[in-house]
Amino acid sequence: MSTAANHPPLFASSETVTHVKSQSVGVPWYLWVGVVSVSSATVGGAWDVSWHRSIGRDSFWTPAHMAIYACGVLAGVIGLWLVARATFGSDEEMRANSVSVFGLRAPLGVFLAGWGGVAMLTSAPFDNWWHNAYGLDVKIVSPPHTLLILGIRVIGVGILFLILAAMNRAGEAGAANYGRLQWMFLYIGGLMVGGQMFFLQEFTDDIALHRAAAYISMAIALPALFAMFWQASRFRWAATVTASVYMLCILAEILILPLFPAQPKLGPVFYPVAHFVPAKFPILIVVPALALDLLWQRVKGWKLWQIALVSGVIFTVVLVTVEWPFANFLMSHASQNRFFGTMYFDYNSRPQGYDRLRVFFHPQYGLQLVKGLGVAAVCAMASTWVGLAFGRWMRGVQR
Amino acid sequence: MKRMWRGLLAALVLLCVAAPAGAHIGNKDVFEQVSVGPYMLFITIRTPTVIPGVATIEVRSSGAAIDSLTITPLLLTGEASKHPPTPDAMKRSKDDSQFFTGSLWLMGTGSWQIRFGIDGAAGKEATSVPVAAAATAILKMQRPMGLMLGALGVLLVLGLVGITAAAVRESRLSPGVAPDEGRRKRALIAGMAALVLACFAVYWGGKWWNVEAADYAADMHKNSELKPTLEGDRLNLRLGDPDVEAPGGWLEVKNSDMLLDHGHVMHLYAIREPEMDAVFHLHPEAAGKRGLSMTLPDMPAGTYKLYGDVVFLNGFPETETAEVTIPEGLSKGSLATEDAEAIPAGLSKGDLGAVYKLPDGYSMVWDKPATITANMPYAFRFTLLDASGKPAGDMQPYLGMAGHAAFVKTDWTTFAHTHPEGSAAMPAVMLADASTNGANSMAGMDMGEAVKPVVEFPYGFPAAGRYRVFVQMKHGGTVETGVFDAEVK
Repeated sequence: MSTAANHPPLFASSETVTHVKSQSVGVPWYLWVGVVSVSSATVGGAWDVSWHRSIGRDSFWTPAHMAIYACGVLAGVIGLWLVARATFGSDEEMRANSVSVFGLRAPLGVFLAGWGGVAMLTSAPFDNWWHNAYGLDVKIVSPPHTLLILGIRVIGVGILFLILAAMNRAGEAGAANYGRLQWMFLYIGGLMVGGQMFFLQEFTDDIALHRAAAYISMAIALPALFAMFWQASRFRWAATVTASVYMLCILAEILILPLFPAQPKLGPVFYPVAHFVPAKFPILIVVPALALDLLWQRVKGWKLWQIALVSGVIFTVVLVTVEWPFANFLMSHASQNRFFGTMYFDYNSRPQGYDRLRVFFHPQYGLQLVKGLGVAAVCAMASTWVGLAFGRWMRGVQR
Repeated sequence: MKRMWRGLLAALVLLCVAAPAGAHIGNKDVFEQVSVGPYMLFITIRTPTVIPGVATIEVRSSGAAIDSLTITPLLLTGEASKHPPTPDAMKRSKDDSQFFTGSLWLMGTGSWQIRFGIDGAAGKEATSVPVAAAATAILKMQRPMGLMLGALGVLLVLGLVGITAAAVRESRLSPGVAPDEGRRKRALIAGMAALVLACFAVYWGGKWWNVEAADYAADMHKNSELKPTLEGDRLNLRLGDPDVEAPGGWLEVKNSDMLLDHGHVMHLYAIREPEMDAVFHLHPEAAGKRGLSMTLPDMPAGTYKLYGDVVFLNGFPETETAEVTIPEGLSKGSLATEDAEAIPAGLSKGDLGAVYKLPDGYSMVWDKPATITANMPYAFRFTLLDASGKPAGDMQPYLGMAGHAAFVKTDWTTFAHTHPEGSAAMPAVMLADASTNGANSMAGMDMGEAVKPVVEFPYGFPAAGRYRVFVQMKHGGTVETGVFDAEVK
């Protein structure tokens, strides 16, 4: 039976034949460009959602869309460069650090990012057709949007794997850039946590935080990432750091976006808006993340399933314990200020809507809630197990 | 995999239907003539068939010179009618300085208004035109688009297989190390697993797509149902909608949920099938809280197509349809004062021509364009002549207007009841007018002026084909109904 402590060799391979080590102590330029590309998509996505909540109407050329496209363009540039170097160039080190897909060679992350780029490209005509057939989407989770978000996310995963492979090689070589690569890995991981929360926001809206569905969705989506990053990064506070990146990004959005004027260009306008509307206050996931970090530091000798069982319970209990009463605060007048931002509403927020009235949407109590949270705990266990197992596999990625 | 994509696309194509509904049957566009201060505008609003969707707007100015025109979408009633979004400037045509075009998103089904801001030498003015927005169609996916999406889908699936295999085969090997046979085998298995997973994802995506399409189809606008019954010579009408929670699975509309239109809850056109050789413009009245009723006049026996115009409280108009069979000698009653009838020659007798002889010796003349093209806006002009062939001099308003017209396609798929101000329902026009403080004056509504024997109806035929046109004007206490035919190209 495998255990978390019984990892495969971290920095050694018995199959080494022509072991090529990087002599570079710096971080390759394409990794920085990759980090910029994922950051650009993150900023663009948040900006675009705010655009739709404040102005409504957009075009192909809005700055928010440009930031999203920049992600694909930058990832495409580094991907093509790496494919050209590894497949057709004379760079032996690059070739040695690559895998082969249908005759082309490049690091695995490049192919993942390329796949994400094709998914993004596919989503564009699909989404356009969808608008013509069924009208403009008024919700985030539609099939073409899902393909677009999946594409952006997979580009992020690709960049993460590019960094991961470089980080693992640097660790094996004892290179000085290891620490910097580790932080880059955690930063991209934090953006991925943000991406996960972005996709969940229709379930985790503050008015829905007294329903089990909010916690079930987070239990499915988050522990896998925390566990994966904790394992793969070898950093003892990985979950806390990546959760913090998400929370800081949202806090920055709340503090910055309302500084810029915006007016609705679409009707119906139920709530006059004079500036960009930011996201809702972030979920306090840093607290269960910290609890998981503390747990995982202490159970290295446990079997994966044992860790997963305990982690699922701890994640759910801590998250609910923290977020449930905090949601009460978010419904109160005390949170209607520039920091917590619960007085910001979309231009099309109905006056009698739950959001405008600041009341919970169909809150659940009693047995129904207990059953739901039980489901959340089981989901969190399964999610943790998947994350731990995949993260352990990621430790061995070299290319 | 290709089969799966094809299946997905085929399922979508099956959903591609168009359902005419709304204010008029088969007529989605709005044509209005507006006089506001010294400005005169002929407005065409082409509403989208999917909601949210883009409405395109054309304006021809024929009054005082206009420097700029803006357009703003608002709901017709309620809180959102008080908060206009930022207006959009209309674009002036390079070839025709009096012609402006623009477009606006209509973001939800319901009763909207487009507010026009006019700025010119005569100062600033504003007017609003009501628009009923309703999803009535699902676009069919074109074959090239389907093929392109299918090809990209196949590429994504194959890419996923190749990447998964590469990840298992080589990604964890030290740089430069060649994979052994065991890794190649594991890679093959992982690739196959990825293929199965991708197929499942495509299948699941297809199911999701079908659910979304079904949800959209369920939300497409459906007019209320009209259920006519005969009780002696009385026609009883019930208006309602299927509702699983209502007794009998059908919820009847309350009369108080509808606005009066020219003093009536419903304007009912009864046209005899199949020849269109008898037409009645009737006005059943409320029979209690729910249901309408009226005593029928003497009508030729036969089956009649019923088109009943109603307007709901938010200004949303609907034309409800039904059929009723009138037996021989059902009624010997006469027409009510505000009702009208005509017994023209049947469709099979050929085109009725541009001059229609009325029973009292008067005649109605249509300045019929040489050719009429579908979807083109026209101001169709009709003149009432007395027995001596001169313009009638004893004109009176009919139901508050200089005239009423109904444009009906001979295959019964389109019906529009319009007025001299345009094709929007009058209660909705009044709500829109109130929202701009009554600044505008609709052509044919200004009863301060004497009613003229010449009336124009702004309208555009929605599709090619043969139509029958019924026009009503009133003089000396007599409501005349002229009947004409139009071949639209």
